[in-house]
Amino acid sequence: MSREALHESLSAVMDNEADELELRRVLNAVDDAEVRDKWARYQLARAVMHKELLEPRLDIAAAVSAALAEEPAHHVTPPQAVAKRWRLLGRVAIAASVTVAVLAGVRFYNQDGLGEGTPQLAQQAVPHSSVASAVQGAAVLAGYSEEAVELAPSITAPLQSGPTWQEQRLPSYLRQHAQQAAMSAGGEGALPYARAASLEAR
Amino acid sequence: MRAISLLLLLGGWLVSPAHATEAQDWLLRMSAAERTQSFQGAFIYQRSGSFSSHRIWHGVDASGQVRERLLQLDGPVQEVLRINGRVACVKGALAEQVAAEQAWPVREFDPKQLQEWYDLRVAGESRVAGRPAVVLAVAPRDQHRYGFELHLDRETGLLLKSLLLNEKGQLLERFQFSTFEPGQPADADLQGGADCRQVQIAETSEMPPNNWRSEWLPPGFTLNSVLERRSAVSKEMVSCLVYGDGLARFSVFLEPLRGAVAEDARSQLGPTVAVSKRMSTDEGDVMVTVVGEIPLGTAERVALSMRSGLAQNTP
Repeated sequence: MSREALHESLSAVMDNEADELELRRVLNAVDDAEVRDKWARYQLARAVMHKELLEPRLDIAAAVSAALAEEPAHHVTPPQAVAKRWRLLGRVAIAASVTVAVLAGVRFYNQDGLGEGTPQLAQQAVPHSSVASAVQGAAVLAGYSEEAVELAPSITAPLQSGPTWQEQRLPSYLRQHAQQAAMSAGGEGALPYARAASLEAR
Repeated sequence: MRAISLLLLLGGWLVSPAHATEAQDWLLRMSAAERTQSFQGAFIYQRSGSFSSHRIWHGVDASGQVRERLLQLDGPVQEVLRINGRVACVKGALAEQVAAEQAWPVREFDPKQLQEWYDLRVAGESRVAGRPAVVLAVAPRDQHRYGFELHLDRETGLLLKSLLLNEKGQLLERFQFSTFEPGQPADADLQGGADCRQVQIAETSEMPPNNWRSEWLPPGFTLNSVLERRSAVSKEMVSCLVYGDGLARFSVFLEPLRGAVAEDARSQLGPTVAVSKRMSTDEGDVMVTVVGEIPLGTAERVALSMRSGLAQNTP
């Protein structure tokens, strides 16, 4: 199959116009570095068009196709369902960074109206890419990069339509997960405590 | 000449297991040090969107009793007092989501077993909090967990710094001492104070009955505990299964949807990923949410492999 055909298929998938054949073509080629690169750039371009933030390093395409490959039920999924899945994926990829902003303010919903100042709010609306990207590649003797603290406060809280099911529950799930680790018996040390405390901060 | 190269080859072959053993010994020392060494100090915790500093007092008395007090220094007061590893009291919101009468069997820290899932080696030397440290690289052997870089105090073996790294080597989380001082802390520093709230955590060795099972788990992860808790949002009973590999852990939450509108979702907060998948069961749709310090793809796969019904063959 030609590169062009593949890229056309990729483009169709991105635009939610792919038929089953095109989907399979793209899924088959997902291991191809060039195709994945292209996928990432398409995602980025779309995000820029929508003036939304995106974490391109979060390789959702790879993660999802791996998950799909493991899921026998979906080999026989009708094309519409598959297309829907991909459409969702595109949305989710872009929504992900927004959700993170919500998560970063874990206490946001619980403390609304408790007189928490707004400056903190702005501080919390931080894209999760910042630290990871600024301090990347640091294995042994990782140095602290100053860039890590320069966080773009470019996300505003997506609250117009009220919190979704996920937004209501994820903060509580996260806290429960962290606190169970921190409070469980056995000397796991200070790290689980610090993780749990970081969800309560501010 | 040939003999020399053979010797070099043999030497190289012999050296690597020795390195692994050395790393194992350091990990054993680290876990023993928590029960035998007294110290105090201050550390920072950093992940995306959060940076905080904390004090720690850790005292081991003559009878071998371990008292540890942790106190957050910025923002609201968060404080925990542990006696022999068990939480004695808490100040702040830290135990809000912990229900009483939950069972958490202790999983022994076992570097030998860890070796099956992580490649352990001594990676070099460093200096943390003004003290010479040994760097251990804990690299995952598969794509289902993250790697750690641990810096242990040369003198005491205690953990001075821990970095969590994803598969691309990006830093997800940093835990690091800024000051560290060995020696017994003052008694007053090891008390919780009057407003430190007692936490009742009953321990049972029995796991409660569980209607959920996972058809796939990342290798090395086992079920640590099962709990049920009423959701603060919907008043539904939410089941929670906790899995771990001895280093990493994740929780699976299962909440009935009762016709509610909810889409699948995935997000990442520092080291912690959260993946939600809608699942159909005989009793209606359920939202499966996997939360843990594991890669996104792994969480996704775990979420897809949850099934209702009693386990036929529990591992």
